[in-house]
Amino acid sequence: MNVEVRGLTKTFGPASAVTDLSFEARAGIVTGFLGPNGAGKTTTMRMMLGLVAPTSGTATFGGRRYADLSHPSASVGAVLDSAGFHPAHTARDHLRVYARMGRYGPARVEQVADLTGVSAFADRLTRTLSTGMRQRLSLATALLGDPQVLLLDEPSNGLDPQGIAWLRHFVRELAAAGRTILVSSHVLGEIENTADHVVVIRDGRLVTTGPITGLYATATVLARSPQADLFAAKLGQSGIRVERRQPDLLRVHRLSTAEVAAAAASHGVMLHEITPERPTLEQAFLDLTGGSG
Amino acid sequence: MSALLAAEWTRLTSTRLWLWGVLAALGSGGLIGLLALVGPENFTPPLPGLDTSQGTHVLLGLLGFTVFAPALLGTIAVSSEYRHRSITTTALFAPRRWTWLVAKLVIYAGAGLAYGAIAATTAGASLFGVATLKGITLGLPAATVAALLARIALAMAVYSMLGVAVGALLRNQVTALVAVGAYFYMIETVLMIVPGIKALYPYLPGGATAALTGFTYLADAIAGQTGAAEAHLLSAPAGGAVLVCYALIAAAVAVVAPLRRDIM
Repeated sequence: MNVEVRGLTKTFGPASAVTDLSFEARAGIVTGFLGPNGAGKTTTMRMMLGLVAPTSGTATFGGRRYADLSHPSASVGAVLDSAGFHPAHTARDHLRVYARMGRYGPARVEQVADLTGVSAFADRLTRTLSTGMRQRLSLATALLGDPQVLLLDEPSNGLDPQGIAWLRHFVRELAAAGRTILVSSHVLGEIENTADHVVVIRDGRLVTTGPITGLYATATVLARSPQADLFAAKLGQSGIRVERRQPDLLRVHRLSTAEVAAAAASHGVMLHEITPERPTLEQAFLDLTGGSG
Repeated sequence: MSALLAAEWTRLTSTRLWLWGVLAALGSGGLIGLLALVGPENFTPPLPGLDTSQGTHVLLGLLGFTVFAPALLGTIAVSSEYRHRSITTTALFAPRRWTWLVAKLVIYAGAGLAYGAIAATTAGASLFGVATLKGITLGLPAATVAALLARIALAMAVYSMLGVAVGALLRNQVTALVAVGAYFYMIETVLMIVPGIKALYPYLPGGATAALTGFTYLADAIAGQTGAAEAHLLSAPAGGAVLVCYALIAAAVAVVAPLRRDIM
C-alpha cells in the first residue's frame, strides 16, 4: 500500500505550518521524513491521519483518505507521541481497549506485547512507565491491526541505545515484509542506517526527496592554495559555493577533485592539496536545509 | 458500533471509576437513609415527618438532587481522554469521531441507570428500614415510592448522557466539571429569580428534572418566596424527553463543533 501526499498545506491563522507539500512513501522500503524541530513533520503526519484538517491538499493510503479506509487501524498504524495513556490503566488494559475498538482478539494483544517487549511490563500502570516503555506501548498499539503502513513520529525519543538498535532492526524487517514505513526524525544518525529513501522538509516546505544515497551527491572537496582568495573569487563568479576553512583552505561544494583541479588550472591558481570529502549525512542535511538545522 | 461499545465498556471497567461510581451511589442512597433516621421533623427548619406524604417526598427529592454525581462521571469519561491525550489513539481507531461519542453516550446511559438503580434501591431499602425501625408507616404508598425512585434512577441515566455531552463539548476536565456543578447548583437557581425566565423553568434542565423526579421543592420554594404563581411543571415523561433532548443537542453540538477541531 503506497502513501501519497499531494499539495498538503496547513495554515494556523497567518502562520503556515506546512506549504504545498507533496511526496510518496512506497511499499517495501523505509522512507525517512527528515527536518529540524518545528519543520512541520508532526503536523504533516497528523494531517495524513485526519487528526488535523488540512487547509488544502490530500494524503491517501492506497488511493483512499485515512477516514475513508474500511478498517483504518488494520491498514495504517501510527506512533505519534509517547503520551496518550490513561494513567490508571495497565499497559495490557490500554491494549485491550484498543484491541476491542479495532475488533482484534485477546491473543493479538499478547502477540504485539511480545513483539514489542511490552510483555515485560504489561501489568504495570501506564503512569509508572518510562518514556522508552511508553514508546514501545505506542508501537504495540499501532501494530494491533497488523497494518500495511506504519507512520512513526520520532520513534527513538526516549529509547536507550539498545532500544534504538532494536527499533531499527524491527523497522527494517517490517519493510522487508512489504510494509510501507514512514519514519520522521530530526536526528540523521537514526535514519542513516534505516531509511532507503528520504523526504527532507524545512519550514513546512519540501527541500528534497529521493534515495538516501542522493544526499551524498552533495560532495565537497578541500582545496589548499596560497592563492585561496583569488581562487574563491573566481569560483564564486562561476556560481560555485565556497567556504573558507582556514586562510589557505577552501571547501568547494558540488565539484569533483578533477573539476576543482581543472578550474584551478584554467584560472592559473596554484594548488597545494586537493582532498575529496565524503560528507556526513549531517553535513548534507545542513547544506540542503540552509545551514542552521 | 458493537466494537466501540465493547471498547468503552472495557475502558470503564478497567479503571476504578466504576468503583467510585458504585460507592457514590451507595453513599447517596445511604445518606437518604441517614436523613430518614434523623427525621425531617428534626431538620432546621423542621419539615413534616416521614409519616406524611410531604416528608417522604422531601427525602426522595433530596436523592433527586444528587443526579449531578452520575453527570460528573460521564463528564470525566470524555474529558479524561483529552486530558490524558488518549483521544489521539481513539480518533485513529475510530476516525468518524461521532461513532465513539455515541458509544460513550450509550455506555454511560447504561452506567448511569445502574448508578440510579443502586442509589434508588439503597435509598428505598433504608427508607422502609427506618420506617420499620421507628414503627411508622411512610407517608406515601410503597408503589408510589417505588415509582418515584424509578423516575430518579431514570433521571440519573439521562444526566450521565448530559455529562458525556458536556465533557465532549468543553474538553477541559476542570472546566467541564465546574460548568456542570455550577449550572445545577447555582446558575439555574439564579435564573429562576429572573421573572421572564421563570416561565421557561419547566423546559430548563432543572425544571425537566423536577418533572421527571416529581420533586418540586425548589420550584415551590421560589414560588413561595417571590409570591408568584407556581411554575407548572411538565409531566414526568415529557420532562424526561426534554432532558434527553438536552443530552442529544449537547452531543450533536459536540460532534459538529469541537470534535471537528484539530487534535494536536
